[in-house]
Amino acid sequence: MAVVERRGDLVEEAPGRQPGSRSRRVALILSLALVLLFPAIAYPVFDSYAYVLQMGMLILMWIAMSSSWNIIGGFAGYISLGHGLFYAVGGYSAGLALAHWGISPFLFLPFAGLAAMAAGFVAGLITLRTRGPAFIVATIAMLFLGLLTFDNWEFIGGTSGLDLPLFQFPIEFLKVPFYYAMAVTAIGAVYLSYRVAHSKFGLGLRAISQDETKAEVAGINTRWYKVWAFALSAIFIGMAGSIYGYSLTHLRPLTFFAIAVAARMVLAAIIGGRGTVAGPVIGAILIIGVNEVAVRQMGESAINIVFTGLILVVTLLFFPEGIVGSLRKSRRLPAFLDWD
Amino acid sequence: MQWVQILVLGLLLGGVYAMMASGLTLLFGVMRVVNLAHAAFILLAAYVTYTLFENLAMDPMVSLVVTMPLMFGLGVALYLILFPRLEASPRYVEMTVLLTFGLALIVEGMLTFVFTGIFRSVRPVYSSTAINLGEIFMPTSQFYASTISFGLLMVLWAVLRFTKTGTAIRATMQNRSAAQIVGVNVRRVSAISFGIGMALAGAAGSLLSFMFPFFPARHWQWVALLLALIVLGGMGSIKGAVIGALLLAIASAFVTDLFGPTWSPITFYLTLFLILMLKPEGLFGAKVRL
Repeated sequence: MAVVERRGDLVEEAPGRQPGSRSRRVALILSLALVLLFPAIAYPVFDSYAYVLQMGMLILMWIAMSSSWNIIGGFAGYISLGHGLFYAVGGYSAGLALAHWGISPFLFLPFAGLAAMAAGFVAGLITLRTRGPAFIVATIAMLFLGLLTFDNWEFIGGTSGLDLPLFQFPIEFLKVPFYYAMAVTAIGAVYLSYRVAHSKFGLGLRAISQDETKAEVAGINTRWYKVWAFALSAIFIGMAGSIYGYSLTHLRPLTFFAIAVAARMVLAAIIGGRGTVAGPVIGAILIIGVNEVAVRQMGESAINIVFTGLILVVTLLFFPEGIVGSLRKSRRLPAFLDWD
Repeated sequence: MQWVQILVLGLLLGGVYAMMASGLTLLFGVMRVVNLAHAAFILLAAYVTYTLFENLAMDPMVSLVVTMPLMFGLGVALYLILFPRLEASPRYVEMTVLLTFGLALIVEGMLTFVFTGIFRSVRPVYSSTAINLGEIFMPTSQFYASTISFGLLMVLWAVLRFTKTGTAIRATMQNRSAAQIVGVNVRRVSAISFGIGMALAGAAGSLLSFMFPFFPARHWQWVALLLALIVLGGMGSIKGAVIGALLLAIASAFVTDLFGPTWSPITFYLTLFLILMLKPEGLFGAKVRL
């Protein structure tokens, strides 16, 4: 019942959205400006410039990842733990293009997205034959099948991995192009998420997450909606993988397929608020921020995994709608965060 | 003769797999929970066994006496703390999967913190010997582990079949609300089932500790394997889990023989994938579609 009521609120609120639109626009312009000008602002301020840019890049990457995951996992309500596969497809397609044809991953970026989307489309056709927990289990199986294939595929280097040539750039500013490529990816991902949320397609996905049978009866072609949502959710994850892989200069299957990667996408989206546009962005900033502080303070990565798990459990038990969802429910969501 | 040998090895492994999977399938049957943390708890018990062996030289088979009650208690406690909050949720099943995902991360992180990520194994005397029956040989450790597993499965069967609680558990598995109507305290039954499932995970951990080397992050592979077994058998069916375990263990033994050990896990993942796609209710599953 609660869910239905909440959705009812949403519909009611929709026409009365005008008052907040101004602060939302200001927030949007400010945050875009911050993202784009950050390398210039940070240069005189921070001593460890490369580190700060790396952090910025990571935050942008996880924004892109969790916003993308949110399309299938949040809007459509199909929890995937296998999106590491698309991360890998993006990373390896760009890596192979560089290693074999000498194409820069920065130019290859859209194609890495397309490759991931194609993989997502095929994977979606197969895994989306299942629902609920069976879907989650199927995506885990998909992840492990992918890892096993990549591990044993000689052409792409197997377990020992694939070495990439270094990006030739003044060493002091080496992180800058990576940062901007990731910024483009993150902005694209959030924009896609916003467009999906405000479209008939997004409405259909939400209907599916509420009650798939009813959605079907209402005339939504649920199968294609889900498959397209899955394919769309893979695009920017693939692009993020290509940039991140290039920044590492060495690709190993486990970097991309680790369950921790999938866990973090899911976690960021859930903490921020599943099924909202702003949620995954806030969640990603929080998760990466907290993680970094924890690592700097204690330097222990195993405790990080414990924290990740604890945060997930506590969120699920006490505010399953996440930050944005819970704030909206209590009508305390600041207008500039209401992107839905 | 070589085929017989592979078959025997497969059967031995299958017995242990069956016991590992029975706890998982019991939880699904009673509570509709896909416990992604099951293998993490198995590893937790394996590390307890490891600690007992290293410090007190306790035989891993004896340490079952410690791990099983310990895990039973942990299971009941976890159930009472975590699950009643979720029961009213409209997305119960999904929430429980994510919740157990979180639990698995917590256990994995703590194990890594305490024991580090390196390979461990418990090596009692019998871990490197074998029993020879004519031309067939059986690793002693696997023979013992398999025997204990089948024994525990018999006990589980007897408990479910002949005790009042067992009857209540089976009734809840068949139809939760109907069981409630005829006076079964479903919450109590769920708590006990969670405890039994975890106790089986505890036993599995003690047995695993001397059969396979382990490290904390290994549990993801184990849980994928166990899910494959119970999906093949039909989730919630203990008979199905046992048959699925035997079938897949034998299949993977043959795959190992033909293509080498790297490809043996693919038997499990592919089966999992294919069964979910083609026959999601599994071989013996009830009509419940996931």
